[in-house]
Amino acid sequence: MHETRSFRLGVAGPVGTGKSSLIATVCRELADELRLGVITNDIYTDEDARLLRSAGVLDPDRIRAVETGACPHTAIRDDVTPNLIAVEDLERDFAPLDVVLVESGGDNLTATFSPALVDAQIFVLDVAGGGDVARKGGPGIARADLLIVNKTDLAPYVGVDVEQMVKDASEARDGKPVIALSRTDPASVAELTEWVRTMTAHVRTGGHTPVDPGPMAPHSHVGEDGTLITHVHSH
Amino acid sequence: MSTAELVALMLTDGRLPTGGHTQSAGLEPAVRAGLGADGKQLADVTTYARDRLHTVTRVEAAVAVLARYITHSHQSEGLRLVEGAWAARTSSQVLRGVSRRQGRAYLRLAGRVWPEVLEHLQADSEVPRPIVIGVIGAVTGLSAEQVARIIAYDDVQSVVSASLKLLPVDPAEAATWLAGLHDDIEELVADVSPLTDIEKIPANGAPLIDQFAQNHATERMRLFHA
Ligand SMILES: Nc1nc2c(ncn2[C@@H]2O[C@H](COP(=O)(O)OP(=O)(O)O)[C@@H](O)[C@H]2O)c(=O)[nH]1
Ligand SMILES: [Mg+2]
Repeated sequence: MHETRSFRLGVAGPVGTGKSSLIATVCRELADELRLGVITNDIYTDEDARLLRSAGVLDPDRIRAVETGACPHTAIRDDVTPNLIAVEDLERDFAPLDVVLVESGGDNLTATFSPALVDAQIFVLDVAGGGDVARKGGPGIARADLLIVNKTDLAPYVGVDVEQMVKDASEARDGKPVIALSRTDPASVAELTEWVRTMTAHVRTGGHTPVDPGPMAPHSHVGEDGTLITHVHSH
Repeated sequence: MSTAELVALMLTDGRLPTGGHTQSAGLEPAVRAGLGADGKQLADVTTYARDRLHTVTRVEAAVAVLARYITHSHQSEGLRLVEGAWAARTSSQVLRGVSRRQGRAYLRLAGRVWPEVLEHLQADSEVPRPIVIGVIGAVTGLSAEQVARIIAYDDVQSVVSASLKLLPVDPAEAATWLAGLHDDIEELVADVSPLTDIEKIPANGAPLIDQFAQNHATERMRLFHA
C-alpha cells in the first residue's frame, strides 16, 4: 500500500439510522490513537459535515463534505469520482492518515459502496426501522464487512426484540460480524472500536481483500440437471 | 477500433463517471432567483439555455477549440495562454472554481482512458474543463466541430436534465426543448470551430449568471453544486 494511502472505511445505511453518530463515536474513541479523516456525503450541501465538526470530536479541517447532487447512491457506486478526489485530497493534506471514514448520503437498503472507493464498509440499521428489516436482507445487510443494529436503547419503546434481530441478521450474513450498538452502552461502543482497530491493522498489513456487497440479493435458479441452486453473485 | 464519433458520444454521456450529476449549469440558482416561477413559465428553461449558448457556453466552446488546436500544434506554453484567456473571460471566481473541479474529474478519467492526455496536462491538476475536453479531443482525433458540439450539447443537456429535478417538468417536454435548441447549438459550432487565434476567443459574458453562481456558493440548501 502506498505510504499516504489510508484505510478507507465506508459507512452506509438508510437515512437516520445513525451513521453520523457512529462516525462521531469512532472519532471520539479513536482520535488519540489513529490519525483520522472524515468525508460526508450530503444530499443537501454540508449538513452532516457541519454536525460532525460541531461535535468537537475531530479537528474540523479533517472533516470534508462532498455534494451528491440528489444522487447519493450514484456518488458511492456508479460515479465515485468526486468522493475519490475528496479522499485523496484529505490523504494528501494530512498525510499520513490511518483511516478515512466516508459516510454515504444514505438513501435506501440497496445502496452499497463500490470497492473502487472504500476498502471495507459498515452497514447501519436501527431498531426503530423495525425488527424485520434484518431478516429481509439486501446486499449491505448480507455482505457488508460489518452490520450494525443501532439504537438498541430504543428497542423497548418500538417493540423490537434485539436478540432476535441480531440472530436474523447473523443468519443472513453467513457468520460475518453483527454488532448491537447503542451510544449509551459502553460495552457495545468498545466492540465497535475494537472492530475498527482490528480492521485497520488487517488492511494495513495487506491481509484484507475488499468485498463488493454488490447490487444483487441472493437468488435461486434451476440448474442444468434440474436441481435448485441458490447463490449470490460475487462480482 | 475507436472512432472519433464514439469518443464524442462517450464525452456527452451523462453516465460517464465525471461527477456530472452534481451540475445544473447554473439552473438551480436561476430557479431560486425566479426562473420558471410557480411552474407557470417553464419554457424559460429553454431561453436560459439559449442565453448560455450565446454567452458563457460560447466562450467555453471556443476555449475547448483552441485547446485542441494548440495541442495539435505542439506549442508547449500554448495551453497556459489558453487558460489565461479563459480565466480573463470567466469573471466569477466561483465559476472558475467549478470548472477547475470538473476539469480535474475529467482529467482523472481521461488519464486512465486516454493516457496520451497526460503528455499535455499534469495529472491531478485543476485544469478548466474546456481545456481538458480540448486536449482529449486532440489526442483522440476529434474535429474542432465535434469538440465545440460536445461543450454546447453538454451544457444544454445539463440545464434541461436539471430542470427535471428542480421544476415540475414533463421529461418528454424537456427532450423537446433540447431538440428545439439544435439550431442554436449548430450555430455556435459553426462560429467557434474555425478559431485558431487565442485572441479571437469571444468574450461574451452573462453578469446575472455570474451573480447567481456567487449566491449559490453560499447557499445552505442546494441540490446541485453549481
Ligand atoms: N436513542 C438513540 N439515538 C441515536 C443513537 N445513535 C444515533 N441516534 C439518533 O438518531 C438520529 C439520526 O442520527 P444520525 O447519526 O444523524 O443518522 P444518519 O442520518 O444515519 O447519519 C439522531 O437524532 C441521533 O441522535 C443511539 O445509539 N441511540
Ligand atoms: Mg448522517
